[in-house]
Amino acid sequence: MRAFDFAVAETLGQALTRAGSGAGSAYLAGGTTLVDLMKLDVMTPRQVVDINRLPLRGVTTDRSGLHIGALERMSDVAVHPLVTARYPVIAQALSRSASPQLRNMASIGGNLLQRVRCGYFRDTSTPCNKREPGSGCPAIGGENRGHAILGTSDSCVATHPSDLAVALVALDASVRLVGRDGTRDVRLADFYRLPGDTPQLEHDLRPGELVTRVTVPELAWARRSAYLKIRDRQSYEFALASAAVALDLRDGVIRDVRLAVGGVGTRPWRLPEVEEALRGMSPRPDAVEAAAARAVADARPLAHNRFKVTLVRRTIVRALTNLAG
Amino acid sequence: MQSAAQGAARTVSVNRVDGRLKVTGGARYSADHLAERAAHGYLLLSTVALGTIRSMDVAAAQRAPGVLAVFTPFHPLKLNGGGNPFSVGHSWLPLQDAEVRYHGQAIGLVVAETFEQARDAAALVSADYDVRPPAASLPDGIPRATDPGRVNGEPAVLNLLADGVGTIDEALASSEVTVSGTYSQPMKHHSAMEPHATVAVWQDDQLTLYNGTQSASLTLGTIAAALGVEPARVRVISPHVGGGFGNKIATWAHPLLAAAAARTLGRPVKVVLTREQTFTVTGNRSAVRQTVTLGARRDGTLVAVKHQAYSSQSTSGGIFETSPHTTSRYLYRAENIHLDQKIVTLDVPPPTWMRAPGQESGSFALETALDELAVELGMDPVALRLRNDATVYPGRNVPWSSKHLDECYRVGARRFGWDRRDPAPRSDVRGEWLVGTGTASAVYPAERFPASVKVRFQADGDVAVSSATADLGTGMWTVLAVLGSEALGLPVDRIRTDLGDSTLAANIGAFGSGATASTGPAVAVAAEAASTELIKLAVTHERSPLHGVPAADVRYDRGDLVAPGRRIGFAALLQAVDVAGVEATGSTAPGPEHGQHAFTSFGAHFCEVRVNRWTGEPRLARITTVIDGGAIVNAKTARSQIIGGVIFGIGQALLEGAQVEPATGRIANANLAEYLLPVNADVPPIDVHFLNHPDTLFNPLGARGIGEVGTVGVAAAIGNAIHHATGRRIRDLPITLDKLLD
Repeated sequence: MRAFDFAVAETLGQALTRAGSGAGSAYLAGGTTLVDLMKLDVMTPRQVVDINRLPLRGVTTDRSGLHIGALERMSDVAVHPLVTARYPVIAQALSRSASPQLRNMASIGGNLLQRVRCGYFRDTSTPCNKREPGSGCPAIGGENRGHAILGTSDSCVATHPSDLAVALVALDASVRLVGRDGTRDVRLADFYRLPGDTPQLEHDLRPGELVTRVTVPELAWARRSAYLKIRDRQSYEFALASAAVALDLRDGVIRDVRLAVGGVGTRPWRLPEVEEALRGMSPRPDAVEAAAARAVADARPLAHNRFKVTLVRRTIVRALTNLAG
Repeated sequence: MQSAAQGAARTVSVNRVDGRLKVTGGARYSADHLAERAAHGYLLLSTVALGTIRSMDVAAAQRAPGVLAVFTPFHPLKLNGGGNPFSVGHSWLPLQDAEVRYHGQAIGLVVAETFEQARDAAALVSADYDVRPPAASLPDGIPRATDPGRVNGEPAVLNLLADGVGTIDEALASSEVTVSGTYSQPMKHHSAMEPHATVAVWQDDQLTLYNGTQSASLTLGTIAAALGVEPARVRVISPHVGGGFGNKIATWAHPLLAAAAARTLGRPVKVVLTREQTFTVTGNRSAVRQTVTLGARRDGTLVAVKHQAYSSQSTSGGIFETSPHTTSRYLYRAENIHLDQKIVTLDVPPPTWMRAPGQESGSFALETALDELAVELGMDPVALRLRNDATVYPGRNVPWSSKHLDECYRVGARRFGWDRRDPAPRSDVRGEWLVGTGTASAVYPAERFPASVKVRFQADGDVAVSSATADLGTGMWTVLAVLGSEALGLPVDRIRTDLGDSTLAANIGAFGSGATASTGPAVAVAAEAASTELIKLAVTHERSPLHGVPAADVRYDRGDLVAPGRRIGFAALLQAVDVAGVEATGSTAPGPEHGQHAFTSFGAHFCEVRVNRWTGEPRLARITTVIDGGAIVNAKTARSQIIGGVIFGIGQALLEGAQVEPATGRIANANLAEYLLPVNADVPPIDVHFLNHPDTLFNPLGARGIGEVGTVGVAAAIGNAIHHATGRRIRDLPITLDKLLD
């Protein structure tokens, strides 16, 4: 960890002023990613601005949907009645994330901005294009069992780590971003970038901008939704594959469906082509599996993660058929 | 004198006497010792696997805030290479040369006023290497495997063949049924909850070392030799150890450097390894590849057991896995047994002892092969094992002192409900889960070492029982209290135990599952000796109420001295004569019984697994483990040890493995987020049962040892259950879902 300046912001305006152009500055919420990576010398901000006193709290609903303040803690949102009743997929994605200790600290905004878990990104003795652009990607020829098969490039194959983001992308959620130049709302699906040749640019957050809230549009049938997370051990591990599903099922037929997968993409991976194939279908396992095959049409597996091509299809089948019950 | 319930089965079950200390944070582990003016050291590790350090740039680190010194091979701390006993875990001493032998080797120590300053300065050091390509892959190295010579006192290639049989392959060729399989598992790490830590304090040329260790005496001897000081001027203190599993026996780089740096800097130095550092600065378990070929008659009688193994060894030395010699050597009766152990020397961190070294891997291969044979024969796996139960130690014709493996199977099968099993694979489907059951044997030799214990009657009415042994979280604090209580006829809460200090009564420590078996018998001897001293005082001291009574007329009874017509408590006696305490040391050691019998603990595991038919993940539903470990001293802590051993086996079976990059020798998952250990959610209900047959031929206590046996065989039982559930035989550990997706 390098020496840094530390400031506590009392208001949004103070935070934005403090961060200024954003260069060399980092906002501190729960700290579960930032402090970890600072200790590893992976992130070396010159200034850290503590935003925990900002009034970015609350879980509310109005006609436009569900609003979650960016500083709400994961553990609180996971058990909030509005969330568990109307969007079980969000509650489940949160409660299957990380460990209880981390969920108690980590914020919703920080969760969406967490850095990747790629071991090469975290080890400063190895190259990494995300950490040091142009230095190379040892994961492509190294240990890559946990890495992505969708959305990868020759520069980066790191998996997007957030479970919550997968659920939110399935539900067409958006984030509110506030900066010195004003406020804007961005669909989360558009917020995350593919690595391409610039894996160091992970999202559409402008320098100094702050995520202030998440909005999930009203979707009555999201009451029938679920998050299925597949991993080697049953807690405290990132997904090998996951599926966020919401199902509008009437008379045994899928009227509408929302589907996104995690653990396999360089960003949360919405699957409109699978959704399209599923509409009007009766959710029998064989039919769902055929539709799910579309999810991996463009998959680029690596030496150790070829199994994910099958696993993610099966995860979709299992999640959908269980939800259809 | 009360009998120490010698030979009688115990039913004692008491809480840990150190439990309150541990749950309130009162137990002080090595890193908790806050020496005044202590400086903090942070190890620098190599970032290449093989080569020579050309130079190191330490200028920025030396200028960093709070930095006191940066020690490197170019500015080393002097350590001596000679001396005995010497139990460094690798063949070299840190910083004495510029060679890099593996990725993550200690190549320097930054010492600063605070831990954070030392760590942050360490990040400013860069090293320039002449790099050579490392050999880091076990499979790639097999063509150049070598014969280690001897293994466990026997030839590495050992033939125990029936008369007239020329080779094991001849015996296999004449067998009615044969099965053969190749089994592999990756390098593994102990991952004790407490990372390794040292606080070194010099005062008046005396070194006090707070160092979590399984053996204060081995650490003392090693440190004294390496630092060139008299052993009498070193004291090692380690009252609480947060897990050892074999990795806190040897001495690693950090206590050597901490002690030397503290001497050089003239102030205490603390070095605590980060979790990542424990993966390479300390030891591991070899990666192993084994082939087991079994030949049998149609009725299941084993005719031939052929067990070959390749274990990874380090160019830095170490203790490699000895899989065939610790399992197939004697676990079953077979007319012909062939063992073959080879090693593959790699540029990786040194292997060391790790819970059930040899048995852990060997049992996975042998007990899986037996299951494959049972399937081939259409025979129940329990019946197959009972058919081949060995009653004498193969090739030596000595009987076991006390062996009840057959009873383990019968009792375990009943507790588990094994008879409800349909042997056909994939015959039990419940919703989206494929359900299966499996079984396997556990085996671990009983070890006993010389040990001394001091018993001291105190004027305050308590009795101190102490020895320089270690408690790794295993329960030795409590075992000493229970045995002291039994030997002295006093309640447990009147026994004051002490351990983990090299100044206490001589004791080699806690390893080889031998701590209780070694230390326990000495408690009774010491109690007897101390009560004799008490009587001597009582009849000779003129202020004693028993003054002048013939010693032969006085006996010790439950804290009192009893003479005809008179009885006095020891506390009253000591107060009357104004003596603070009376003590004696008792020592015991293995005797001539060794050689006349074989001493071994056994067990049987039964488990039920579920495998998801869609996504393939294996999940445990329940486990039953029955242990034949001799007399059980404290049922409560014993049960915890077996549960811990079983969970250790769950890790072996389903989760654990170092990802060593073949090209770089770097361990890619050296942290607890990616080196997966079981979490609570992975642990099913575990039913533990002890047969509790005292083994008094082994020692008067009748206790053998249970620290390791519980791990042995678990992985095979789980793998066998997965085969039963799915019809798929996975011979490569860990058994992860990607291997089970069809």
